[in-house]
Amino acid sequence: MKRKPKIAIFSLTSCEGCQFVLLDLGEKFFKFLEKVELAQCSLLEEEPLRCDLFDIAFVEGNPITKKDFKTLKEVREKAKILVSLGNCATLGGIPEMKNYQSKERTIRFIYKEINNIDNPEIKEIDNFVKVDYSIPGCPINGEEFLRIANELIKGKIPKIPQKPVCSECPLSGTKDCLLRKKEPCLGPITLAGCDAICPKSSVICYGCRGILNNINPKNFIKFLNKMRSQEEIEENIEIFGIKDDIKKFL
Amino acid sequence: MIKIVVPHIHKIEGEAGFWAEVSREGKIEKLRLQTLLGLRQIEGILIGRRAEEVPIVVSRICGICPVVHILNASRALEIALDIKPSLLTSLLRRLLLAAQIIQSHTLHLFFLTLPDFFDIESDLDLMRRFKKEAKAALKIRDFSLKITRVVGGRTVHPMRPRIGGFSKLPTEEEVKKLLQGFDEVYDAALFLIGTFQNLSYTSLQRKTNFVSLSSKKEYSFYQGEYIFTPQLFSIGDFYSNKIEEDLKRPPVKRVKHLGKPYMLGAIARINNNQNFLSAESKENFKLFLKNHNLTSEEFFKNSFHNLFCQIIEVLHFLREIEKLIKEILRQDFKEKPSKLEIQRGSGLSAMEAPRGTLFTYFEIDENGRILDCDIVTPTAQFLNNLEEDLKVYLGSLLQVSPDERTRKIRALIRAYDPCISCATH
Repeated sequence: MKRKPKIAIFSLTSCEGCQFVLLDLGEKFFKFLEKVELAQCSLLEEEPLRCDLFDIAFVEGNPITKKDFKTLKEVREKAKILVSLGNCATLGGIPEMKNYQSKERTIRFIYKEINNIDNPEIKEIDNFVKVDYSIPGCPINGEEFLRIANELIKGKIPKIPQKPVCSECPLSGTKDCLLRKKEPCLGPITLAGCDAICPKSSVICYGCRGILNNINPKNFIKFLNKMRSQEEIEENIEIFGIKDDIKKFL
Repeated sequence: MIKIVVPHIHKIEGEAGFWAEVSREGKIEKLRLQTLLGLRQIEGILIGRRAEEVPIVVSRICGICPVVHILNASRALEIALDIKPSLLTSLLRRLLLAAQIIQSHTLHLFFLTLPDFFDIESDLDLMRRFKKEAKAALKIRDFSLKITRVVGGRTVHPMRPRIGGFSKLPTEEEVKKLLQGFDEVYDAALFLIGTFQNLSYTSLQRKTNFVSLSSKKEYSFYQGEYIFTPQLFSIGDFYSNKIEEDLKRPPVKRVKHLGKPYMLGAIARINNNQNFLSAESKENFKLFLKNHNLTSEEFFKNSFHNLFCQIIEVLHFLREIEKLIKEILRQDFKEKPSKLEIQRGSGLSAMEAPRGTLFTYFEIDENGRILDCDIVTPTAQFLNNLEEDLKVYLGSLLQVSPDERTRKIRALIRAYDPCISCATH
């Protein structure tokens, strides 16, 4: 019999929300776990099995502490395939917002003595290690995780189709489209796969899954700037770490 | 000098480590619990940002209890902006919060702590050995998650609740459907409470102060009239004058109440507000005292009993949910979310998170931008109390094998259900 693939889930500094999405899948997630050997997962296991090699390692969160950086490096050395899990690991996430605020202002607001606190610039994990695949979103879409993880186990190369959120949005083309209502929704430039979960709840898309890799967002941002102040649009794209990606085109 | 170190404590929300130094005579010289997550600087990040962004950002403090962060911040900002949410909004928020507490407690009880009672280190082993319990726990969790999905938009980082109300309301039909299968879910909770009735709890006795929201009308969770310690304080007075944050041990601002550690969460709420528990929860509590031959005073001196208090609350909040849904169905579902009218102001709100009282304070300027922000989480408040408990407990563990000692230290830490993501944020 073929051995079960070894998978591991690691959390760097984070809210661990992406791991909870998996647990929230309930039975479906535990069925998935039957197909694999869960070699490490801090939420479900106390003692990790000592193991030199993982077939697939999933990493969520941001490297902030020295320990985070060490873990990230070790995971890369041990993993055949490394997958970034969620918006923080993939695009920097909410903690990246501090990069746009003047240096030390943010932390000084919280602590007066800051010498012993790790306060690196927040960067996507692919700045430090090679990332093979990414599962985007804040939080991730559990169903998409299962699809991608299953494909990886079967040795396939998982792909997320480069289509915009609007292609999945039931409001698209109707009078209820948020853009039509002059709401600065980022649906047209954002990678689909979330089932347009926010616009469906009458909340604009803030681009947490990242911008499509086959478009130039420049004209769309210009269009939004006519609708709302430049300041507002800039702030919106800071929330989920996509400002640095969009700025490359402006 | 003997050093006792547990470098990693897993199976909690976030990660922590434990260090202690014990003299040859058995005196505990030093003991500390260290959180192992970085500082994400959420409070600092919010300064200068627009009020509307706040619920989105504070949600990301924690993946297990995002709801209470969203709701408490929204209410603090509503107080600052002088917005009064509608009755329907308040009821739906209560429903979300009750579901949040059940969801978090069941996850903690079954997946994180039950294995400690049987020295099982992996949940997958646990699920194989306790199939019926696993099924019951998942059933209750699924029920509460469905509520969060229908009312909040999704389970982790729900996007519908916002300042003033909801971006979109569930339909009456959807709310009605939430009660489908309620009896089975309630039976599953009764079954699980039976399991926790019959466990053998480690003994530990230490007196402490219990802090929670309280009210003359109900088992407080969404709204409280005052803070009970057991002295009564107004929420504002308690937050401003009776607690202090210690800035010397980043990345957590630990909190003391009048210079002393205190306990929060399920055990504190039940200690303070047990008269308002549902009838069956009360009965189960009494039965526990009888079965384990404990006085009420002895019961509350043992922090391991926080676990039993959590399952009592699961039962209580299921009944609460049933009541709330029926009341929600009597409301008119046609309201529209109110428009934000920006003004200068400040607001403080306190709510019961699964792990205890959460305080959220915001000040905004005339442009609707955040001037000041303070988020005091339950775990930051009870870490000192946990260390005090560990000092007492460690004294009784000096003779046992190092492996067993490590297991027991971890078990006490987990009984508190600490959330390190919240504590550090």
